[in-house]
Amino acid sequence: MKQNKQQQSLTGKMRKPLNKRIIRELTGDIGKYIVIFILLVFSIGFVSGFLVAGESMIKAYDESFEKYNIEDGNFRTEEKITAAQKERIEKKGVSIFENFYIEKEFDNNTKLRIFANREQIDKVCVMEGRLPDGLHEIAIDRMYADNNGLSVGDKLVSGSESYEIVGLVALSDYSALFYSNNDMMFDASAFGVSVVSDKQFAEYDEGKLRYNYGWLYDNKPQTDEEEKKVSDDLMDALANIVSLENFVPGYLNQSITFTGEDIVGDKAMMEVLLYIIIIIVAFVFGVTINNTIHKEATVIGTLRASGYTINELIRHYMSMPLIVTVIAAVIGNVLGYTCFKNVCVAMYYGSYSLPTYVTIWSAEAFWKTTAIPVVIMIFITYFVLRKKLSLSPLKLIKRDLSGKKPRAAIALNKKIRFFDRFRIRILIQNKSSYIILFMGLLFANLLLFFGMMLPPLLVHFQGIVTENMLAKHTYMLQIPAGAIDDEDELSAAFSYVFLLNKISTNNPTAEKFSAYGLKTTGEGGSRVEDVSLYGIKENSKFIHAEFDDKTVLISSAYADKYGLKEGDVITLKEPYEDKYYGFNVTGIYDYDGGIAVFMSKKHLNDIMGLSEDMFSGYFSDTEITDIEEKYIGTTVDEESLTRVSRQLMISMGNLMYMVDGFSVVMFIVLIYLLSKLIIERNVQSISMAKILGYTGKEVAALYIVPTALVVVASLLISYPILSYVMVGIFRVMLKQMMSGWMVIWLDPSVYVKMFLMGIITYAVVAVIEYRKIGKIPMSEALKNVE
Amino acid sequence: MQLELQNIKKSYGEGGSRIEVLKDISLGIEKGEFVVLLGPSGSGKSTLLNIIGGIDTADSGKIIIREKSMADMDEKALTSYRREHLGYIFQMYNLIPNLTVRENIEVGAYLSKKPLDIDEIIEVLGLKEHQNKIPSQLSGGQQQRCSIGRAIVKNPDILLCDEPTGALDYNTSKEILALIERVNKEYGNTVIMVTHNDAIKNMADFVVKLRDGVIRKSYRNETKQTAAELDW
Repeated sequence: MKQNKQQQSLTGKMRKPLNKRIIRELTGDIGKYIVIFILLVFSIGFVSGFLVAGESMIKAYDESFEKYNIEDGNFRTEEKITAAQKERIEKKGVSIFENFYIEKEFDNNTKLRIFANREQIDKVCVMEGRLPDGLHEIAIDRMYADNNGLSVGDKLVSGSESYEIVGLVALSDYSALFYSNNDMMFDASAFGVSVVSDKQFAEYDEGKLRYNYGWLYDNKPQTDEEEKKVSDDLMDALANIVSLENFVPGYLNQSITFTGEDIVGDKAMMEVLLYIIIIIVAFVFGVTINNTIHKEATVIGTLRASGYTINELIRHYMSMPLIVTVIAAVIGNVLGYTCFKNVCVAMYYGSYSLPTYVTIWSAEAFWKTTAIPVVIMIFITYFVLRKKLSLSPLKLIKRDLSGKKPRAAIALNKKIRFFDRFRIRILIQNKSSYIILFMGLLFANLLLFFGMMLPPLLVHFQGIVTENMLAKHTYMLQIPAGAIDDEDELSAAFSYVFLLNKISTNNPTAEKFSAYGLKTTGEGGSRVEDVSLYGIKENSKFIHAEFDDKTVLISSAYADKYGLKEGDVITLKEPYEDKYYGFNVTGIYDYDGGIAVFMSKKHLNDIMGLSEDMFSGYFSDTEITDIEEKYIGTTVDEESLTRVSRQLMISMGNLMYMVDGFSVVMFIVLIYLLSKLIIERNVQSISMAKILGYTGKEVAALYIVPTALVVVASLLISYPILSYVMVGIFRVMLKQMMSGWMVIWLDPSVYVKMFLMGIITYAVVAVIEYRKIGKIPMSEALKNVE
Repeated sequence: MQLELQNIKKSYGEGGSRIEVLKDISLGIEKGEFVVLLGPSGSGKSTLLNIIGGIDTADSGKIIIREKSMADMDEKALTSYRREHLGYIFQMYNLIPNLTVRENIEVGAYLSKKPLDIDEIIEVLGLKEHQNKIPSQLSGGQQQRCSIGRAIVKNPDILLCDEPTGALDYNTSKEILALIERVNKEYGNTVIMVTHNDAIKNMADFVVKLRDGVIRKSYRNETKQTAAELDW
């Protein structure tokens, strides 16, 4: 027993010399380990930073519901609610709170929604400065301030009025600055929210006040389904008590929910990215280990013959990849919690108006960025090692590593030039490296493609929606809800006649249209969104189509988003009622600016039970100046149509550059590592070729050209795959995330730029490899190794 | 004289650990001669072969090949010297593992403006049925035949053989020696063979015995035997 122990400790000591090799392996191949290390540190660091920032933000966001007492929903009425109405509404199981606002255009071409300071619900988080308490003081949204270069102490001017900015704030019910809940996207540069003192708010003209109310349930519904039911009931009840202009339950309020959903979605995407990178790196390690085993087969065979167990050797060869991964994970996490977190937080603060946050320790982030990468690395390297090291010592000593009978060479036609056949053999010999190279390049290209394609896509979208506007100016009149209340046609008619004077124009270019807003039904779990129905007058100057009684044209954006074509039937729903309409699509109208349906004015008015002359707005070539502003609900112009693309540019701009940079780094690392491996694997042959009299150029032509071909082919093959995948991803993303539609356009010049970037990157690596080939000594072939 | 070595010296290492591998070697080799450099391990024979082959350099002395001094050759000229005039055969074959037998021979053929017929060489070497196999599918003897094929296909002036039978059994060694002998006779190349096998000297025209970096004995062999007659 004692002897046994002595023997074990002796063997333990004897085995230690093997560990000394680990440091030598590291220093001997430092270039390879440095690039892998950098790639891992950056990937792990960035994802860790992203997860920590995301978790901290989500925590701050989740807590804000309670901390700032965020509303369960809001509605807007035409008139201020009376005490009796309030009482009736509150009997429905809710408490309602005034949250009136006005909207004001400022001289910097932006619009602010101004609230009185909130004390009961949707409380304000002061990020800098203070809340206003006097006249002509204002606290503005922090992100709106950032986007417009405003800070505390600056002045905001609206015509003759001037406000001093006394604070930068985040309004808890506006973490995403959606102007309207129907908007596809928020726009934090042209639109913002703000608060003024009660004294200041009292100064505003009552005619401009929007009677907005927030509500809180007495008993909060627990699930979305329950909330939908409760809110639907509330809406029906409200419609019977007041004239509703707007009704947005909390779970559908994009200004509140968009941020949370986006942060959670981003986190999932980042994790997937990290694991793909780790798997690619693990495979790179796998190929590296495979090469080392080929190189050291006789040594390994001898060690095995001398009594080393397979597991001892597996541990030995696994240690380097593991050490590199663990150290990279630790440093990555440290960087994640320090600098990368700040980058990611800045990214979120650049997109959302979030309240202040506190960095939290995220066990989840730690596990996902440390434990899982290490486990993936262990799994893949163990698998490769186990397979190779299980061969008998004799096979290893004889360098017979195939594990089975040597496979016959693939026959190549003798007519193929010798050099080409040689290169084909290299391609076959290194197929696993080349497959990893292809997969890696495909992935790096996917990131690069995403980063490079989005800006031109947005610019293109801006271009087509502005070129393709229904009219230079589209005015939607603000007609009181009572006027179109089909339950009370008589009063509707009266109100309408009264209004008619107020909403007429002498502008000769103006053309009346009727419009009606319906919603999609959300079939198959798709997002419920608004559809604008336009009733067009005969021989319209603006909508160039022939309309008869049955013509129903859908906008090209509508057709593209839902894959609709002529002959299909669309079902639409009244927003606040359980009433459905079916339309037979008779054609597609070329309009990408929104989800819209066009038919004759008479047709639309008939369906909606409106009188024949009823109209909702004007198309016009020139600005209409003779209608009072209060009768104009919304204007559709370039600004409103390009909101999505502008906000995406702002929110994603920095991310895009980071994605581009990261993919280029990944590109270089992969090409460098794998071409290095291929050269290393052929050192003996290269050395022999030199002895035989091959020149450096010839050797390079033999050993570098195959990799060049693989790189070029990988790049070319990847583009159709990427285009297909990217269009697919974008369609799903846009369909699920956004109301409205954006035409997906892939800029052809991006392919050229990406190809050039790929080739230039490869050229740099090829020069390094060329020099490396030049340095391989002829003595390599003289070593007694086959 | 096809090849002339004058006062070749070569040492490795520095200071106290400096070892003189070649100490003032001079010899001359005629065109078409079968030369055997004989000596035990560490005698400097492989170093001498590598210097002749232009893959190692002498510290001093002169090598004149076809009336040209190797000292005047830069890297490019040395490459072209190896390319045009030399064929190499190694103990461990050094075949390119991912090329077939035929393609390995083509590696040599590519270097010559007037290569010999590859099919004929494959036939002569007895590799016809193995020509589409890769080296790992062949026995040691077959691999060495292939490496001979690669060396002779470009019909080099000088064939340098470094222990070509060192890793082979008795019968295979004799077969390989017979092949080299045949090549020497048929194509008229000069053969310089390094070996520690004393018996092989008997098939040489010119024998150079080395020990500790010094030529102990060199002589023209008047009683030359064929490879088949050799025994050890």
